[in-house]
Amino acid sequence: MIDALAQLTVNGIALGAAYALAALGFVLVINAVGAVNFAHGDFVMAGGFLAVAISGYLPADLELPGLVVLPLTMLVAAGLGLLLSLIAYFPLRGRPPVSVFISTIAVAIILQHGTNAIFGPAPRAAPPVFGDGQVDLGIASVSMQQVAVIVVAAVLIGAVALVLSRTRFGRRLRAAAQDPEMAEAIGIDVPLMIAVTFALAISLAGATGALLANQFFVSPDDGGNYMLKAYIAVVIGGWGRIHGAVLGALLIGMFEVVVAAAASYVVAEALLYGALLAVLVLRPQGLFGEAEGRRA
Amino acid sequence: MRKIIVATAQIAFLAGALSSGSALAESVDIPILVPITGFISLEGTAQRNGAVQALETPPAGVSVSYEVSDTSTSPEVAVNALRRAISKGKPVAAAASIFGTQMLAMLPIAKRAGLPLITVSGTAKLTELGNPYIFRFFPGDAVVKVAHARYAVEELGAKRPAIIYQTTSYGQSGRAELARILTKLGAPPVFEEALSVKVKDMLPAITRARAAKADMLLLHLHSGSTALVVRQARGAGWDVPIVAGSAMHQPTTAALLRPAELKGVCAESASSPISESTADVKAFTAEFRKRFKTEPDAFALGQYDGIRMVLAALKDGAKDAEGVRAWLSSHTHKGLAMTYKSDGKGNMAHDALILCYDGSGNAPRIVKRYDNVDGVLE
Repeated sequence: MIDALAQLTVNGIALGAAYALAALGFVLVINAVGAVNFAHGDFVMAGGFLAVAISGYLPADLELPGLVVLPLTMLVAAGLGLLLSLIAYFPLRGRPPVSVFISTIAVAIILQHGTNAIFGPAPRAAPPVFGDGQVDLGIASVSMQQVAVIVVAAVLIGAVALVLSRTRFGRRLRAAAQDPEMAEAIGIDVPLMIAVTFALAISLAGATGALLANQFFVSPDDGGNYMLKAYIAVVIGGWGRIHGAVLGALLIGMFEVVVAAAASYVVAEALLYGALLAVLVLRPQGLFGEAEGRRA
Repeated sequence: MRKIIVATAQIAFLAGALSSGSALAESVDIPILVPITGFISLEGTAQRNGAVQALETPPAGVSVSYEVSDTSTSPEVAVNALRRAISKGKPVAAAASIFGTQMLAMLPIAKRAGLPLITVSGTAKLTELGNPYIFRFFPGDAVVKVAHARYAVEELGAKRPAIIYQTTSYGQSGRAELARILTKLGAPPVFEEALSVKVKDMLPAITRARAAKADMLLLHLHSGSTALVVRQARGAGWDVPIVAGSAMHQPTTAALLRPAELKGVCAESASSPISESTADVKAFTAEFRKRFKTEPDAFALGQYDGIRMVLAALKDGAKDAEGVRAWLSSHTHKGLAMTYKSDGKGNMAHDALILCYDGSGNAPRIVKRYDNVDGVLE
């Protein structure tokens, strides 16, 4: 019983870590432009397919191809993020946030159907980052890919937090997000900061997709599910709160796995949405409070 | 999104057509209305490819045109696609969605329009509604689940099976049949769990099935979910036999798993084109690979056989939709996968088989055939 609980906890943490990475990118865009990027989940899916495609170009005898695939996926995804900002955000800048909602929904649909057209409808698997195999912890067994998910998520989330809080560049990003007019007045190139934020956010989405596509495979219609998880994480953690989104995502991962094991998936899903409703009614600012002025 | 591919099949062998008194002079319309996007697009694409291959190679003297419409995953889109197909001309039949939920919505419209729907959807209820315009060329749950349960109990000795199924109508229909037959065979399920197609971490279900002391895992899931359960069960060190639904026979599902993970995994299906050794099926498989650059599965072959039977009806003199319906209802057709005959409700397929993976590769071997399960064929 204890073994099973430990195993479920490990799975919950790994799943939550991946959700946290997705939620981090999602909340970065919310903070930067004050609007929701509804294509974020589909960029997670696209990251998975990018990893599959990139791995196809690597030598077959390459050891640990995932270590090469992951940074390349993030790089290409960053480029897609820039493209997203140019196509779906900048032409609509200054319009009501709903315009960006709609444009990103359109991008999501294009991504989904484009992926289906290019790769086909079958689920695909990306290579593992640290290779196959299991690590025996005594009371639980952790797959190398779960270790990779947890380690990569921790490193990337830590790095983003460090850049945002400790570097001049990070302070400029935050300034552009918090008060664009004032930031522009003191000489910060706000559009550049916004474009960089999109690149960073989609790069994180790409990493999430590459990590999940090994353990859970990837299909062209997976994006909606990841989008929903990121959205719920942000609502639970506090709209616009970066650490809130990360912790919210970890909570969701743990909650899903543990409640599904104790009761059933249907109960877990019902309780998750029940909890979401409860947060919206009883603590609309989220568990960690809402960042001021972030809600569109 | 609506994705349309328009193509017209040729009039082949004009001399042969002229010599056949029953051959049609005019081109007839057979639309293809299947899900090629969304979570069931893998199966829907196989279905489309099977229909296209049949329509592109019509018998001498039969001329057909077709249009492919994506029904995606919602009943509304499927209904719109069907209405549009009916309004655009006078189709004599339509290849219709593998997704049972969509078929349930399309059936009343097909009945009003008098249009035969040719499908490979396994949802049992479709042929229990008294609608004379449905023709199912894939064995329904009442056939394949018999093979599924009997193989598990009679051949593998299951005494405490666990069922993991999808929350879709496909999943629920299969679960009900499986549970009923297993109980009849003296091995009622000790654990049942429904999964949404969005669920990725299967360990909670696997943990609970193990806690229930299940001695076998029976799956009735779509492709991705099937592969995830197999992988995670093996990853958790649970080596019980797994007898999966037809999704596991699909080459694309098996390709997701390592041979070692597939050891001890079996699947029910109507056929397995890549495993068959007959010349006709081999020729079909070779043509399919050449045309679509992918492996055919039982859904593709079932849909191919269904459309070939419609073309046989046209060749035999059926002039319109009602003529095709009457012909399909009353004739026996020898297809590539099996011999088809209506049971009076539109169930045309009555055979099933079991395939198993031996751990040495990703191609399954046919281990057991269950012919004429419901006694329709003489």
